[in-house]
Amino acid sequence: MDSLIAASARALAAGDALGALKRVALRDDPPALALRGIAMAQLGEHPRARELLRRAARGFGAHEELARARCLVAEAEVALAMRDLGGSPRLLAAAASTLEAHADHGNALQARLIAARKFLLLGRLGDAAATLAPLDARGLPPSLAAVAELTAAELALRSLRTAMAQAALDRAHEAAERARVPALLAEVAEARAALDRPAARRRSAGGEETLRLQEVEALLASDALVVDACRRGVGAGDAWRPLARRPVLFALARALAEAWPGDVDREALIAYAFNTRHPDETLRARLRVEVGRLRALIAPLAGIEATARGFVLKPRGGREVAVLAPPIDGEQASLLALLSDGAAWSTSALALALGASQRTVQRALAELEATGRVRAIGRARAQRWLSPPLTGFTTILLLPAALPIE
Amino acid sequence: MSSSSSKAGKDQAAITASAAEIVREYGPLAGEASVGGVTHDGQRVWAATRDGLIAFDPVSGKTTRTLACAGDAGTAFDGTYLYQITEARIDKIDPVTGTVVASIPAPGNGSDSGLTWAEGSLWVGQYRDRKIRQIDPATGAVLRTIESNRFVTGVTWVDGELWHGTWEGDESELRRINPESGAVLERLEMPRGTGVSGLESDGGDLFYCGGGGSGKVRAVRRPKAAARA
Repeated sequence: MDSLIAASARALAAGDALGALKRVALRDDPPALALRGIAMAQLGEHPRARELLRRAARGFGAHEELARARCLVAEAEVALAMRDLGGSPRLLAAAASTLEAHADHGNALQARLIAARKFLLLGRLGDAAATLAPLDARGLPPSLAAVAELTAAELALRSLRTAMAQAALDRAHEAAERARVPALLAEVAEARAALDRPAARRRSAGGEETLRLQEVEALLASDALVVDACRRGVGAGDAWRPLARRPVLFALARALAEAWPGDVDREALIAYAFNTRHPDETLRARLRVEVGRLRALIAPLAGIEATARGFVLKPRGGREVAVLAPPIDGEQASLLALLSDGAAWSTSALALALGASQRTVQRALAELEATGRVRAIGRARAQRWLSPPLTGFTTILLLPAALPIE
Repeated sequence: MSSSSSKAGKDQAAITASAAEIVREYGPLAGEASVGGVTHDGQRVWAATRDGLIAFDPVSGKTTRTLACAGDAGTAFDGTYLYQITEARIDKIDPVTGTVVASIPAPGNGSDSGLTWAEGSLWVGQYRDRKIRQIDPATGAVLRTIESNRFVTGVTWVDGELWHGTWEGDESELRRINPESGAVLERLEMPRGTGVSGLESDGGDLFYCGGGGSGKVRAVRRPKAAARA
């Protein structure tokens, strides 16, 4: 590397992004472009940073593939901070292999972490887990280890494994302390707080109580028959009957579970499930059909018996019955609860699950998006909705540990 | 492609590279310091790092002196003074006191990497420009330009031979070139991934090479002139 590049890198390493920039501001050779890009990223000028890093990557020759790969990783991280998730996962994977082949393990791991976080943000939990699984955070620079553990914690939270999440967050905290990066420590603290916030309400005929994530996990793991209004389904132990696409059946199950051990009046069921105050003979017939369908679906978990005035839920094997509801009421809360599974939902799927019109859902989503509580990816018919990550996901740029120049 | 570079390409094909024989490694010299330049003052080896100039005894490997002047690239010694490329200038430094006695602009305006002293001139490598400039050490005026076909990361003169270090991607070599035409006369190939940043002969049969981000200085055996004949 040449003297001004070295001087600029020296300034950057000392945290002086402006000083770094000043030294190479007028140069357009690839190492200078890369340094300018990294300095710009640290100054929060993400779009400009990205463009500079792209130009740097293009400028490095075929024999400088290590430098090029580092630029690609830096660019991908800036894109992630911008929440632009359109980049190709294959490019990033190729960069990671190149770095691995050149024994640049720190930056290779960083590339894979970026890929895993991107999959998480895209709601592709399986891909995220597959990317994260082979990574070994031990023996890494602490800041990278902290990000790796935060990502693992997020993934564990998404799949409602709070003990795993807790353990990952403890390791993240320890790593963040070693890294002495205040922003990382704050992020770990925030993620830990998320574990203590009310995650759902348990409702029954007797009243309701607020549950934390651990308690939700414990309830779902228990033998109780849970009608889950957050994920829209009925479960007991390992058994799970998704009803997200059967809103009428879900409404019936929920009404029956909330009244348990009592029964529910036919007219009340019709009013609740069919959303009408004027029951007639056709609706009574339809109620019989729908109850029959629900009965067949949940037969291994519970029976539904007719009573003099309506129907009653009879869980098998003396199980308890619990209704899990979103922590607050309303369309928006229900949407957030549905999205909290971390998967990407289409508007029509959300509308179907909530039994609301697409218009209503669209409006609620727009309000949520304006306050940053949901995110959209894709456009038009390919548009999908996602909840923001539970752990708030870092936009701290770690950027390649070694600069793309040597 | 210009005629001169195609000629250089032919020369390069004609000269087969031999493996550089690394005799000894020193360092990493200090913490995270990467080595930007090396020189030899007759007894000690000086290495320019981010944290300052470090002199060590090549026999014991012990650091004997440090000067708090940051070095970004090449280093040279004229018998009395050290020269150090920093940012876009070349500082003339008194090795006893560490004070900068004079500064001249670097010919590459900051794109400079290698530096050596010979025949009353400073010779400066311009990294990605693939050039070596002979300059007047008093004024910085360019006296001559030699074109290479590789990145220049270090320059040294020994027994009338001009050698330069190159480091492109993963490939690094020490090259003897014709000071008139720039044609490659001899190539010593460094092991893959071993970069050269800064080059200096000890006047005898050793080269000292800066190891860039590794923070090391490596001693490489200079091939005997007789073996080449």
